[in-house]
Amino acid sequence: MQQNSIMLFFMLLVGIGTIFFVSIFMSSLNADKDSTGVKNLLKKRFWFTLILIVVLGIFAAATLPKSPYFTFANETPSTVIHVGTMQFSFFLSTKPIDPKSPSGETIEIPHDQLVEFRVTSFDVNHGFAVYDPSMRLITQVQAMPGYVNNLRYKFTEPGKYHIFCLEFCGTGHPVMQATFKVI
Amino acid sequence: MNIESLKLKKISALWIIVILVLFIASIVLGILMRLNQGKVIEQSPLTFYTNMTTHGLTMIGIWFAAGMVAVNYLLQRYVKTSYGVNLFAFILTVIGVVMLWITTYAGKFSTGWTFLYPLPFRDLGSESWSTPLFLISLTVLGVGWLVWSVSLMAQILKKYTLSQAFAWQHFKSNASVETPPFILITTVTLIGVIASLIAAVIVIILYFAEYFSHGDFVNDALLMKNLIYFFGHTIANEMLYLGLAVIYEIFGEVSDRPKWKMTWYISLAWNCAMIFILTAFFHHLYMDFVQPQALQIVGQLASYLASIPSAAVTVFSIVAAVYGVKVRWSIVNLLFFLGVAGWVIGGLGAVIDATISNNIMLHNTLWVPAHFHTYNAMGNVLFSLGFFYWFSTQYVDKLVLSKLTKYTLALLIIGGIGFLMAFYVAGANSIPRRYSTYPVELTSGPYLAKVGALFASIYLIAILIFFYNIAKRCFVILSASSR
Repeated sequence: MQQNSIMLFFMLLVGIGTIFFVSIFMSSLNADKDSTGVKNLLKKRFWFTLILIVVLGIFAAATLPKSPYFTFANETPSTVIHVGTMQFSFFLSTKPIDPKSPSGETIEIPHDQLVEFRVTSFDVNHGFAVYDPSMRLITQVQAMPGYVNNLRYKFTEPGKYHIFCLEFCGTGHPVMQATFKVI
Repeated sequence: MNIESLKLKKISALWIIVILVLFIASIVLGILMRLNQGKVIEQSPLTFYTNMTTHGLTMIGIWFAAGMVAVNYLLQRYVKTSYGVNLFAFILTVIGVVMLWITTYAGKFSTGWTFLYPLPFRDLGSESWSTPLFLISLTVLGVGWLVWSVSLMAQILKKYTLSQAFAWQHFKSNASVETPPFILITTVTLIGVIASLIAAVIVIILYFAEYFSHGDFVNDALLMKNLIYFFGHTIANEMLYLGLAVIYEIFGEVSDRPKWKMTWYISLAWNCAMIFILTAFFHHLYMDFVQPQALQIVGQLASYLASIPSAAVTVFSIVAAVYGVKVRWSIVNLLFFLGVAGWVIGGLGAVIDATISNNIMLHNTLWVPAHFHTYNAMGNVLFSLGFFYWFSTQYVDKLVLSKLTKYTLALLIIGGIGFLMAFYVAGANSIPRRYSTYPVELTSGPYLAKVGALFASIYLIAILIFFYNIAKRCFVILSASSR
């Protein structure tokens, strides 16, 4: 699960950062009166900057191709689900949804097949966030009035999936949810 | 003490007291929100969201103002600033905040600080007059701050040419005029602030245009979102840089260390930072797949690049000033040092979230308030508190690191870490942000909210002690005569 890796990675960085700042502070407390501190500052700054640029460059090169805009971009989805949103409901349908009288249907999506959600809003901005049966957020996209966002995903596990709104849309925001099945 | 300088001290003291009172009130609102999410208290969703809107807007407003107060005060060392404009900004800020609180509490305006289009027009439960009053209150605040920022910028440009204010002459080996780092950082930051406020003006005009057109004119939701985040992200980011300008100016003198001099790499870093900060806001729109992909990539790259000058120049310089050197530690430089650590750690959380492939798992979960509270509550706030202490003690008291101060700092750190960790863990557990209560399926949400409320209360105790110490000295300054 990506979130666990993110948390672990972050905690590792926080640990290193904390040790770093505490040791810098302690070095000052324990320093002699005539100690002059770091020598060859410019050289050290140069190497620090270079390492930082290389590390960030590697990160950018490794992560940008994994951006959701590029995943499954060259495949043809086997299922298309139209998603209409409005305060405070989701409408999911295999057919286009009429904004004047929106209605949805019970959705079942076959696993291991590419599905495309065509997500829009009929009033304000909403979020369309998919949670797996263990209630872990696995993918999301925004629902914006006047635009259709296409979100592609391949579900591997059958089960009941939840949809929550992840863009604040008014007082009913936390109760705006729906479910679908992956079979 | 001359009258001009006493007037500036008094208005700065007044700002500080008002900012801290609003800060305490806003923390209480934050704790109430977490208690409601933890099911310890029960508020209606409308009350929760009016609290959330008030909390967010007030916090951004006061800490931006705090940075401006500090920069205005210290700028007096180099150029003459206008007392009248400072007072004008104060009056408009007070009026704007009062109008804002009327909008949220009497008018039940509850769109969150982002007021994403078209939510203010479809804000269920609010009074019909609250949306125009909200826009007017933003206008009042915006006018006050824009006039203040432009006035400070104009004063800088009376003494320095634009290229000198940007310290471009330091790219050559022998610069004839030295630009102090404080002037460069203030210039770069004010340009960002002015740009963000101009975006706010455009947003307000577009909202009013639709409001008065009665349906003939309809805004574009994507354009409005871009404009709102350009304004919101940039001003929230720039207020941190106002704090850094203060650190560059007074860290050396309060620590018995030499003051930083301008070098080519400081000049280069801050000139680059200006561009990166103005383009990083695109990371707020990663989940809007209709946004041009090139802008999404610019968002990630600018967010990454913004960290390089910050880390390689500012953080590195502060670390180098302290490492292995006897420093005269006081509450002021301790708050600065701790704030830099908080800023760095919050920055790490931000860079993780600014990575598009992570953002799809973290966007609008509690990971977002986790990282921005880290570099605000444990970063920027500490920069400003450091300044407030320095400002209030330089006339009234001596800077001593008493036992009480050490315990208060310990409370601040324990409270801060606890309430932030509750956010981070919840974010990694996919708990959404901005939920007044959690669906039963999200079992860890209420539990973590209670933990967050508990530790935020510890943080509040530390802030109350700091407030007492700072405010009592500020009151002495307010009652001082020019004799």
